[in-house]
Amino acid sequence: MKILRIIPERCTGCLRCEIACSYMQTGTFQPAKSVIRVSSFEAHTSYAPYTCTQCSEGWCMTACPVEAITLSPVGAKVVVEDRCVGCKLCTIACPYGTIFYNPDTHKAFKCNLCDGHPACAEACPTQAIEYVEAETADWLGAFAAARAQPHLATALARGEGR
Amino acid sequence: MARRRHVIVGGGTAGLNAITTIREQDAGASEIALVSAEPPYSRMVLPYFLGRRIAESHVFTATPARLEALRVQPYLGRKAQSLDATARRLTLDDGTVLDYDDLLIATGSSAIRAPVPGADGRGLHSFWTLEQARRVVAEIAPGSRVILVGAGFIAFTILNAILDLEARLTIVEIAPQILPRMIDRTGAEMVEGWLRRHGVEIHTGVTLTGIEESPEGKRLRFQRGEDLLADVVIMATGIRPNLEWLAGSGVAVNRGVLVDDHLRSSVPTIYAAGDVAEGRDLVTGEPALHAIEPTAMEHGRIAGANMAGDDVAYRGSLLMNIVEVRGLEIASFGAWEAQTGETSAMLRPERSAYRKLVWDGDRLIGAMIVGKTNDIWTTNDVGMLKGLVQSGKRLGPWKAHLHRNPFDLKRAFVASGTTASLLPRTLLGRPSIPAEQIP
Repeated sequence: MKILRIIPERCTGCLRCEIACSYMQTGTFQPAKSVIRVSSFEAHTSYAPYTCTQCSEGWCMTACPVEAITLSPVGAKVVVEDRCVGCKLCTIACPYGTIFYNPDTHKAFKCNLCDGHPACAEACPTQAIEYVEAETADWLGAFAAARAQPHLATALARGEGR
Repeated sequence: MARRRHVIVGGGTAGLNAITTIREQDAGASEIALVSAEPPYSRMVLPYFLGRRIAESHVFTATPARLEALRVQPYLGRKAQSLDATARRLTLDDGTVLDYDDLLIATGSSAIRAPVPGADGRGLHSFWTLEQARRVVAEIAPGSRVILVGAGFIAFTILNAILDLEARLTIVEIAPQILPRMIDRTGAEMVEGWLRRHGVEIHTGVTLTGIEESPEGKRLRFQRGEDLLADVVIMATGIRPNLEWLAGSGVAVNRGVLVDDHLRSSVPTIYAAGDVAEGRDLVTGEPALHAIEPTAMEHGRIAGANMAGDDVAYRGSLLMNIVEVRGLEIASFGAWEAQTGETSAMLRPERSAYRKLVWDGDRLIGAMIVGKTNDIWTTNDVGMLKGLVQSGKRLGPWKAHLHRNPFDLKRAFVASGTTASLLPRTLLGRPSIPAEQIP
C-alpha cells in the first residue's frame, strides 16, 4: 500500500504540513488539531514531522470496544465517528502516541491518509513527506539520535540528571 | 472427520474476540457455541449510555444477525452450571448439555458490595452490567443527590455522566486517597482539588457502617464524621471473577483461572481469557489478574488463535487505565506502584500536570500521567508512555534526560528508536483485520 514516507533531512520546519492537515481534517487552520506534528531537534536547528505509521497491528483498531476503528479502502486505520464514543482506549493502546482525542467533538481522531490524497505531502515544499508505495518504517529514529548526541553530551558534561 | 467444536462461555470482550479470531482463521469450518448470560454488549461504553450521549442500542457488540453471520450457535440468557473436564461436557442452567473439543472460560466478573448493613436495600445500585446501568439511568434526574461509594476506576468512569445529568455528586472512599489502585498520593491530591473545583464533594479515609431509609432520603452512616443523605447510592466497591461454576471441574484456580502463555488452563482442552484469567503480566512476568478491557481483548484473540489450531504465545498483559474527569486526563501503566524502582517525577500545578516514571535500570516499567485533556501533549504522551513501557526499550542516556524533564517524552521516544522496536510487533504474528471484515 501507499504510505507516508518521511525524509527528515529535507524538513525545514515550516509547519505547512500541520496547517494543511488541520484544514483537511477539521476545515479550520489550527495546528493543534493536526495529526502530523513537527518536532525540533538539535536546539531548533533541525526539524521532522511525526505521524501515524499505519502499523500492521493497528493497536488502536483492535483496542476499540465498539469497532469504531476500521481499515479504509486506501489501507489507513480510520475512526468511524458515528460509532466512536470517546472512551480513549485507543489513545492508551497506540504505543506511538499518534491517535488523539478531540474534547470538542468527544471523538478520537488520527491520520486517515486523507483518503489517498494526503494534504501534508501535497503541502510540503521540500518533499520531506512523500506518499509512495513502501513498507512503513521508523523514519525519524536515526535522524533524531544523531542530532541528540551533542545535546545529551552537553547535558551530561554539566552533570545534570544521573 | 467430525467438525471441531468450540464452546465459548461468556459473550463479553474476551469471548467475542476469541470467536472473531477463530473465524478469521477457519472461515466457518468449525462449530462454535456461545453461552452468555447476557446479550453481548460493551461494558466500556455503558458510562456514555448513562450520560445520554449514546442510545442503548449503541452498546450491543454482536447482534443475533452478526452471530449468525459468524456461524455461531447462541445460548443467550443461559448460564454455565457445571463443567466435566474429563468428559469434555458443559451443562447449562436449563439442563442443556454441550460437548466440546475445546472450551473457553470467559465469564468475566461481577460487582461486589461493601459488607455493610443496608447495602442490599432498594435504591442502592451497582454499575457494572447493562441491567444495572438501566436502573441507574432511570433514577438520576437533575438535582438528584448521588453518592458514589468507592473512588476507584469504575466509579470514576461514570463521574462525568453523573455530572452531565446535573446531579449533585459526593464520593466516599475508605482509602486515604481517591483512585488508590491507579495513581499515587501526589496525583490523587491534584485530581481531588480539580474535582472539588468542579463541585464534587469528596470524603476520603471514611468507613461506611450502614445505610438506612429515612424521610430525608437514604442515610449513610460512617465510623467517624457526619451522616450523608442521598437519593441514589451507587456502590463501586470492587469486582470479583465469576468462577463458582468451575467448582469440582478440576481446572486449577488461584485468584483466577491459571493460564500459560497460550491462555491454556491446567486442563489442555480448556482455555481462559479476560477478567477470569490469571496470566502473565508483561512487566513483572508474574501471574496477574488484569480485569481491564485491553487484556480481555488480547487474551481473547490469543486464545481464539490457539483454539483454531495456531501456535501463538502471549508476551503478557500490560496493566493500563485511562479516565477523564471534567477535562482532566488520568492514566497509568504497568508497575507504576513499584516500591523498589527508581522514579522520576515532576509536578506542574499551574498546568494541572503531573508525570511519574518508574525505572528498572534504563527501562521504563511503569508510568503515571495527569494532564488537561485540551493540552495537546497529554494524549500524545499517553501513547508514547505506553510504547516505552510495552517495548521495554533501553533508554541509555535518555534516562538522565527524562529524569530531568519527564515532560520531554517525545524526544526520548523518537531518538531511542522505540518506533523501530515496536513496528515488527503484532499480537498474532500477522497484520490485524478489522473485526467487521470477518468472516
